[in-house]
Amino acid sequence: MATAEMDTPRRHLTLADANRDITRPIAKPQGRYWILLLTTMAGIGLGAGAWFYQIAVGLGVAGITHPVMWGVYITTFVFWVGIAHSGTLISAILYLFRSGWRTTINRSAEAMTIFAVMTAGLFPLIHLGRVWYFYYLMPYPSQRQIWPDFRSPLVMDVFAVTTYLTISALFWYVGLIPDLAVLRDKVKGVRYKIYGALSLGWQGTVREWRHYRRLYLYMAGIATPLVLSVHSVVSWDFALSIVPGWHSTIFAPYFVAGAIYSGVAMVMTLMIPLRWAFRLEDYVTEDHFENMSKLLLLTGTIVGFAYATEFFIAWYSADPIEIESFKWRATGAYALPFWAMVFCNVVIPQTLWFRKIRRSVRALFALAIFVNIGMWYERFVIFVTSLAHEYEPGGWGIYTPSWVEIAILIGSFCWFFFWFLLFAKTLPVISIAEVKEHLAHEQHGES
Amino acid sequence: MPEPTANKPEQGIEDEAAAACGCGGSCGSNVPEEAGTSRREFLKVLGVGSAGAATIACGPPDFADKLIPNLVQEEGITPGVSETYATVITDAGPEPLAVHATVRDGRVIKLEINDRLGSGNGLTALAQSTLQDLYDPDRAQNPGRSNGDGTYADIGWDEADTALSSAVQGGGTVILTGAVTGTRARFLSEWAAANGAEHIAWEPFGSEALKTGRGSDVLPHYSLADADQIVCFGADFLGTWLSPTDLAAGFAASRDIDGDGHPHAKLTFVGPRLGLTGSNADEWIEARAGTEGQVAMAVANVVAAARGVTLAEGSNHTPESVSTATGVSAETIRALGEELAAANAGLAIPPGIESQGADAAAAHRAVALLNQALGATGVRVHDQGGPVDGATASFADMQALIARMSSGQVRTLITSGCNPAFTLPASAGFAAALGSVQNIIAISSHMNETAMASSWIFPCSHDLESWGDAELPGGAMALGQPAMAPIFNTMALEDILIAASSQDLGAPDYATYLKNAWLARVGDETGWLDALRRGGASAAPPAEDATPVADDGPGAAAVAVSFSQGAGSGTQLVAYPTVQYYDGRGANRSWQQEMPDPITKSVWTTWVEMHPDMADQLGVRNGHMVRVESGAGAIEAPAFVYEGIRADTVAIPIGQGHTAYGRNAAGRGANPLDLLAANADSASGALAFAGTDVTVTATGARGRLVLTQGSHDDLGREIAEIMNVEDALHEIEEHEVDLLSMVRAAHDADPSSPYRWGMVIDLNSCTGCGACVTACYAENNIPTVGEELVMQRREMSWMRVHSFHERTDDGGFQTVHQPMLCQHCGDAPCEPVCPVYATYHNGEGLNVQVYNRCVGTRYCSNNCPYKVRRFNWFTYEFPYPLNLQLNPDVTVREKGVMDKCSFCVQRINSARLDAKGEGRLVEDGEVQSACSQGCPTNAITFGNLKDPNSAVSRKAKSARGYHVLDELGVRPAITYLEDVTHAHMAATGHGDDAAEGGEEAH
Repeated sequence: MATAEMDTPRRHLTLADANRDITRPIAKPQGRYWILLLTTMAGIGLGAGAWFYQIAVGLGVAGITHPVMWGVYITTFVFWVGIAHSGTLISAILYLFRSGWRTTINRSAEAMTIFAVMTAGLFPLIHLGRVWYFYYLMPYPSQRQIWPDFRSPLVMDVFAVTTYLTISALFWYVGLIPDLAVLRDKVKGVRYKIYGALSLGWQGTVREWRHYRRLYLYMAGIATPLVLSVHSVVSWDFALSIVPGWHSTIFAPYFVAGAIYSGVAMVMTLMIPLRWAFRLEDYVTEDHFENMSKLLLLTGTIVGFAYATEFFIAWYSADPIEIESFKWRATGAYALPFWAMVFCNVVIPQTLWFRKIRRSVRALFALAIFVNIGMWYERFVIFVTSLAHEYEPGGWGIYTPSWVEIAILIGSFCWFFFWFLLFAKTLPVISIAEVKEHLAHEQHGES
Repeated sequence: MPEPTANKPEQGIEDEAAAACGCGGSCGSNVPEEAGTSRREFLKVLGVGSAGAATIACGPPDFADKLIPNLVQEEGITPGVSETYATVITDAGPEPLAVHATVRDGRVIKLEINDRLGSGNGLTALAQSTLQDLYDPDRAQNPGRSNGDGTYADIGWDEADTALSSAVQGGGTVILTGAVTGTRARFLSEWAAANGAEHIAWEPFGSEALKTGRGSDVLPHYSLADADQIVCFGADFLGTWLSPTDLAAGFAASRDIDGDGHPHAKLTFVGPRLGLTGSNADEWIEARAGTEGQVAMAVANVVAAARGVTLAEGSNHTPESVSTATGVSAETIRALGEELAAANAGLAIPPGIESQGADAAAAHRAVALLNQALGATGVRVHDQGGPVDGATASFADMQALIARMSSGQVRTLITSGCNPAFTLPASAGFAAALGSVQNIIAISSHMNETAMASSWIFPCSHDLESWGDAELPGGAMALGQPAMAPIFNTMALEDILIAASSQDLGAPDYATYLKNAWLARVGDETGWLDALRRGGASAAPPAEDATPVADDGPGAAAVAVSFSQGAGSGTQLVAYPTVQYYDGRGANRSWQQEMPDPITKSVWTTWVEMHPDMADQLGVRNGHMVRVESGAGAIEAPAFVYEGIRADTVAIPIGQGHTAYGRNAAGRGANPLDLLAANADSASGALAFAGTDVTVTATGARGRLVLTQGSHDDLGREIAEIMNVEDALHEIEEHEVDLLSMVRAAHDADPSSPYRWGMVIDLNSCTGCGACVTACYAENNIPTVGEELVMQRREMSWMRVHSFHERTDDGGFQTVHQPMLCQHCGDAPCEPVCPVYATYHNGEGLNVQVYNRCVGTRYCSNNCPYKVRRFNWFTYEFPYPLNLQLNPDVTVREKGVMDKCSFCVQRINSARLDAKGEGRLVEDGEVQSACSQGCPTNAITFGNLKDPNSAVSRKAKSARGYHVLDELGVRPAITYLEDVTHAHMAATGHGDDAAEGGEEAH
């Protein structure tokens, strides 16, 4: 990417500015923060309460039913796994491509990734009929010598998601080390000890930097294939079945594109209020948002194309069951979610062809919210409409989410934002080291 | 052993046994009076096995903790081994049934038909669910005296006996029962004579019109199997009329197409609505309700003319003259007559309950005349072999009784085995007349409407808890022995009456009375034991095929063929009995409530069937509430839009709308009998169920219509297949498809295993009666979940019977009933998606489900193209004593696990073990799944596909065989055989007549 598009803060920033500005939020929380934090905690309480109620009484308190056995839970699982994608994309792939504009957003994006995977990981548990036996899905040395069935996409899922969580967390942590050292040097008391321990005694020597840069590069290399693999594996939960509307070879690329799409939208959803609240406009600029908008436009168009392809292939297959399934998806009981999905995911992002919109933070925030909603609906529409109208017409049925599912959905968002709020107050939301590196480059270039 | 440690357990056992028996000793179990504390007494208790016996007799809730001694066991109780007792049930629909009761650890867990005596193949759903009547938590449990406010004070049997005998000795006693035959009928008449009482035996769906119309008190036997052209003038003979197990078996035989050279009989249904029987017909003549007899008479004249036969009477009814009243065009009637006249072996089945109008007896006579013209009388309609009519009173007799009650002539009314407060139309005034009766005594097993209106309730033991017998069709007699000790503080009807009798009836109890009666029949003790073992005695073979009713005509004309019902102008009501509830007696059994109606697939409610045209005019759709109003009353119920009904007719099932009777029945649905005026057919005294004009209006409210089938259209997906009879015969000659080779593909079963279990379901035989579904509930501990959860599609039934409407060329439709259950696919899509191997393929080709391993991802269900897996959304309750019915061989599932049809793996395992012990393989027919065993038409065949000579292998080779969704390549183990249908008559068109009537609907 050209240097012109690189991060160019409006104010003339010094290295000390960067240290001060970025670590400024890490101070004693104010009232507004507490309100937000308590709100998210209340939401978590609601979701957890609903879950415990479900465990105690039975999965029947959720709306999922025969024949739609997967509903809001799996929808939300895939939604969060999708959100988790752009973090690694931005931090690893853009790093490898030397796209400098990632610098100010990668930290938050990575944090988002981890929290999203943490959220997503709850849903396979929440949706289990007997969650108290969740460990049956793990390949542990059982006295009965029974292993999980590795043919099952759900087992693949377990591996894909835990691998992704591990690598993302490590990658994020490695990137944090120099910044943790900065924080360590700013604080005293217990916090000094905590940041000190976490920074692993970082001194900033040339030798350390050399090792650090190598490690970071390798980690980026390891993380990159995961961007493609995780969501491909998640898509196989569906593509490997024989359900009309699921059984499709397009699913892996389709889901990966959708994941990046929703992830970028979520980065925007988080960064726009964050930069406003923490007064980071100088670091996260319209240029960044314009670049993200282009990514959004690209992936959004791919997703739109995938929708069209699905319908085309259904028609082209001449399989009456497949055709009926897609016809019903667009016109049946779930026509409203379907068209909401098309509007949010296909129509709205096309406005991004206009530079004005790409650079309007307000417009982008609204657009990102639409994309988030649209991508949730996308999964809902794919999963639910396919299951509701399968092969055997006598067994058709309709699914309506119950309050328990809605409560857990709300709880999942609160859980995610709770972690993000903690992160924003305890860790630098922008990579200080990388910003400084850029500033140094700039100053070097100027002089 | 030190004393203290020995003391501890014995104390516990004694206490539990005594506490468990809530009957205070009157149940006859020998629980020691005092709780002993010595080792000696402890051993004594164990030795005589009374702890086990007490446990079993009284059914404590924590049954599993009790001991059954291994050393000296109670006779007939071997832990883990079932015993079978032959006995009889008398209240499961229109006919008594000889059954085999499977008894495990002292309690009955399953019923099967005793085919050594009857001619049926399997029990109806209502008969299967008799077990839920036995174990009904809402049963009357203690004798009680009414407090006058709907509650009852418990009294002892002594007080009850005194009350009854003093009431009876006061004179003016009437004992009103349901149908009674055999020794019970004799006993009741003797008891009545000895006590100056009058016995009235009455059934709400009695056969008085049939008897009057035929001029004979003997009920006929219709030999359907010998017919090649059957016209049914409205009777639901496959479900609720006369003797459905026998008639359904005969019908299946008449439709057998695989046998050598047997013609496949065509069934034409004449009536306003396609019910269970109508839906199995090849052609539908849409006659108005109550006018079927007029069609029959006109058809008879056409047949007589074509065959050169002279009819005794009724020649004034021509197709043209009846056309207006019946709503059927003269051409159609003429075509039907000509088709019948040309048939080799035609047979007409008379009107049933729902078509019983003001002309009921005349209609029956018309059908008898038609059978005469067809040459069927004495050939396919026999006076021998028919069911025995145990009900002698007609509705008119009941009206007379009500009049006598009102005028105070009846001082004491004893009811038993009937529920007139519910099953008589409200307009008959039974409830009001009860006010003038001094002593109302209900000897009832349930707190039904009649019992609730009584001043005394004496709880009656169930058939399975008491001695009894009943006459079966064809002169056989079924003998019933108690298959278990009473659960509650109940007594048999006869024993209650003996205790209250002022004169000695020659026996101290009914067991003795019955045995004496049987000794007279079977000769000696050996014969008695043999009868007990066999469940009764067969009929003496008839010397000759004597035909008391000569071929030259039906008996003496007790009724003239004249019809009063003319052309109607309003909307007509059809109130019909169903296989679920019959006259309402099935309404408190959750299996029956949760059994989808054969036509609408609706459960737990009452609905109003109406034609799409009427629905359009009213602006209602499925589930919208409509108000149906007649001169006698009004009810509201949700609409069900159905093509198989005339546009000027609405149909409402009888049996719901109870105000009492128990938790499942009370306050549910509406009772269409409230709409009927107390009109009787003047000739026979039969209640006119048909012929009521009603006004139907939409209330604008949304009702609750719980439907269990997603779509009645299979969208051409070749799920329910149907073929023309000519094609079927042609294909059988031309080629054979070997589907069997497909199910034998390598990994369907372990190559070294001698078994690959499979099933063939013949849609040509399946009538859709749902008996298989209830049999499956009984065998496999399937919980019922209630209306609310079925509304959410959470019913747990492992089997569902779909009714698909296949379009016919002339714009009508043909119903195909199709049982759908786990197909045990050779390459099952559910298996590889399970992350924990909770479902996998076993060596015998079964797709097995390991409940303990299941974590509940439900992926298997998503990936099942047949959608036959059911998920336990909750842990379901089996309230005591319903839990005593649970099959100990089948796991009761907990919340969070998936379950599904197992092909009754517990029966397979049991048979395999038996065979292994004897060093042989399981033989064909040795294992039957519950559905296959329970099927009244033998539509389901189960067995080993690896045995080329097994019945299932032979049938699977049929040219009609196909696999549902074969294109998916999952290689199901169930082969369906296509339904076979006949072409329609050229002269008729569907819907023509309906359109005329439809304009009058409002």
